[in-house]
Amino acid sequence: MKDSERFTFLVGGEAGHGVRTAGTVASDLFGEAGRYVFQMDDYQSLIRGGHNFSVVSSSSSPIFSQYLKADLAVALDARSVDLHREHLSTDGVLVYNSDAVKQDIPGAVGLPLSELAKGYSHAELRLGVGSISVLATATGMARDALADFVARKYQRDAENNVAYALSVYDVAVDKLSGRRQLKKGDAPARTLTGNEAIGLGTYAGGLDMYFAYPMTPASSVLHYLAAHAAEFGITVVHPESEIAVMNMAIGAASVGARTAVGSSGGGVALMEEAMSLAGMSETPILCVLSSRPGPSTGVPTYTAQGDLSFALNQGHGEFPRIVASPGTVEEAYRLAAELMALTWAFQTPAILLTEKHLSESRMTVVLPDALPDGPKPVMDESSAEYGRYADSESGVSPMRFAPSSAVVKWTSYEHDENGITTEDPESISLMHEKRHRKRDSLVEHLRTRVSTNRFGKAGPLIVTYGSTTMSVREALAFAGLEARVVQPVYLEPFPEWDFDDLAGEEAIVVEQSCDAQFATLLRRRTGLRVVASVLQYDGRPFDPEDLAKRLQEVF
Amino acid sequence: MDDLGTYAENTWCPGCGNFGILNAFKKAVRRLEGEGVQRQDIAITAGIGCHAKIFDYLNLSGFYSIHGRSMATAQGMKLANSRLKVVAFAGDGDAYGEGMAHMVFAAKRNADITVIVHNNGTYGLTTGQFTPTSVRGFKGPSTPHGSVEDPFNPLAMMLSAGATFVARGYPVKLDHLSDLFARAILHEGFSVVDVLQPCVTFNNTYQKYNESVTELEVIPDSFEDSMAAARRTDRLLIGVLRDVSASSFHREVLGSNVPAESRASAARRREAIAALLG
Repeated sequence: MKDSERFTFLVGGEAGHGVRTAGTVASDLFGEAGRYVFQMDDYQSLIRGGHNFSVVSSSSSPIFSQYLKADLAVALDARSVDLHREHLSTDGVLVYNSDAVKQDIPGAVGLPLSELAKGYSHAELRLGVGSISVLATATGMARDALADFVARKYQRDAENNVAYALSVYDVAVDKLSGRRQLKKGDAPARTLTGNEAIGLGTYAGGLDMYFAYPMTPASSVLHYLAAHAAEFGITVVHPESEIAVMNMAIGAASVGARTAVGSSGGGVALMEEAMSLAGMSETPILCVLSSRPGPSTGVPTYTAQGDLSFALNQGHGEFPRIVASPGTVEEAYRLAAELMALTWAFQTPAILLTEKHLSESRMTVVLPDALPDGPKPVMDESSAEYGRYADSESGVSPMRFAPSSAVVKWTSYEHDENGITTEDPESISLMHEKRHRKRDSLVEHLRTRVSTNRFGKAGPLIVTYGSTTMSVREALAFAGLEARVVQPVYLEPFPEWDFDDLAGEEAIVVEQSCDAQFATLLRRRTGLRVVASVLQYDGRPFDPEDLAKRLQEVF
Repeated sequence: MDDLGTYAENTWCPGCGNFGILNAFKKAVRRLEGEGVQRQDIAITAGIGCHAKIFDYLNLSGFYSIHGRSMATAQGMKLANSRLKVVAFAGDGDAYGEGMAHMVFAAKRNADITVIVHNNGTYGLTTGQFTPTSVRGFKGPSTPHGSVEDPFNPLAMMLSAGATFVARGYPVKLDHLSDLFARAILHEGFSVVDVLQPCVTFNNTYQKYNESVTELEVIPDSFEDSMAAARRTDRLLIGVLRDVSASSFHREVLGSNVPAESRASAARRREAIAALLG
């Protein structure tokens, strides 16, 4: 028997085996033991067959990444055995479905998971329940506690799920019982995926309407908000295309509804013309851009940071853009709320840039009871001579919404202060300068708050952003390496002022890109000397153990 | 002083069919005001092209959108505040080319907006290319030897998509057109008025339309008859081709909720999140 500080559970099988649900239920099992969890689902773009796995790493202290090497791997099909038998920790155990793998596997434990499921409806889908039974048994859960747990977590047809789980327990208990004892922790039981946190954050930040067209890995924001629309008092609409999404959202915002949209790279590309419209018309809009490996259709269900330049340069023409990327699920919640406030305060589009790795990974979170008040929208209540684009020192013109006693004209054309089309050179310059001053005002605002996170006090300097920040932090913790990690949360306007004290320093840049886009951005925006780039672009998130080795090579 | 107009200089060609549309629309607004509609409750949007200049010429609130998207902008405005009567102006390139999907889907979901299509069979502002409704053989700078495509029949298309109010008008029949606009705006659900608009510079159809335009006496009483009226080629029928009632999209989606006005309070948001997270 061994106390595990860190414990990784992996379940693999075909789509249709209930693998992803099993991962989430395993997260809950760890969570109920007060352990911190990080769950990463690796799944393919298909509905049946193929190979899916869910890996849940847990620890009695905060954990920021999944680990590739499992302490307990449950293989529901033969392919999972082949793929995961080499990915075990030193004391790791492989449990496999002996009905799917006919030969004996030395050192592994075979259980007749399919045979036991026979006689139940949806026998294949029950295999995931079987994997939970294996996890519970191996970590010493009592039979009664397992029955109670499965009944709560698999409520649809709970009775049969419990019966099946117990039948697995009964054949597994002699072979597995007490293999591992989980060290209890004091983690809060709440876990969220990045996309759930983003949905909640936009809502906390004032969201009234969410428009989206499905595209992995952003779709779960749409699904989550749609599922909770009634209790939240918000409206969720799925129109005919991303083009409709963005234009409807802009129309809705122009009459006062706080709106957000979301997609992955391809969908945001379709929104791009209207992103520029939001820039010209000064329409507040938040766009969630969750990246997957591109270009084009790319690899739909995997992760990448290849859309950084795309996000920073969204929309033709010159206008202020806000782009920020969260480094954890908790930060995604705060940042989504903050970006809702910023886009309304500065009347220019904002992009929350994230990746599949954050969007669809689940981790333990502690959300603040209340978020700090963001800047407020500037409103006009009573001007007799109202002009939508009235010039101002900050560049921000007070808003009114139709229906209104004043005429309110929003427009895509260059315009005068009343929103009437103009080709007059002075007016064109005036409006360019007005919009440009909004960026200055935005910078002034960002300087008053934390726009960059720093972790660690000494050692080599690592600069990273987005979900890769979690991979870096976990890799350093895993290997006991000392380093300073700097993570700009805002990428546009870029918080150059946060890098002043680092000018001339050598920096190692870690990102999930082939072209090292983030390193290029840092070279342009900071005085850092980028001496090494640690890149990964195979669609998979970094594994902390592997990343630690790669960091040690460049330190 | 025309209080429905603005200081924007009118730059339509003399004799342009758009003048008739502008005047018919102003007349419709005044009539609606007489019937109790508040002017500030009428919001407009437009695409890009000669038609869209009407946005600058009307002293009404709204959003000057981009090419092909005014129908989407309008639907967003309506969903956010259903108190507004939202009118989307569009050219035939906007409505039946670049933004055709929005037309079809607005009709499919019975979005409660009015689309006024300035259908002149040419891209006027970009110097006279053929459009989705140009006749086969239309010669323009992009088709110097004549287009080889047959035109869409936009009314038949809108009927097929499920539009609940479909009309065709002609600016020369100004009072008739104005009446169509007012009825379309009052119609609850999706309404489209396709306006046969002569372009004096690139597609002067006055003579052709003056000879073939005929007012429809009554609204056809079946879908098939509406479709037959839309497909008539010997005469171009103007008037209401279809007017049926059906629940509109915003009612189905929102009930009586008005997102822009009944925004959830910060306290409600905190409570809902706390309840959800336990």
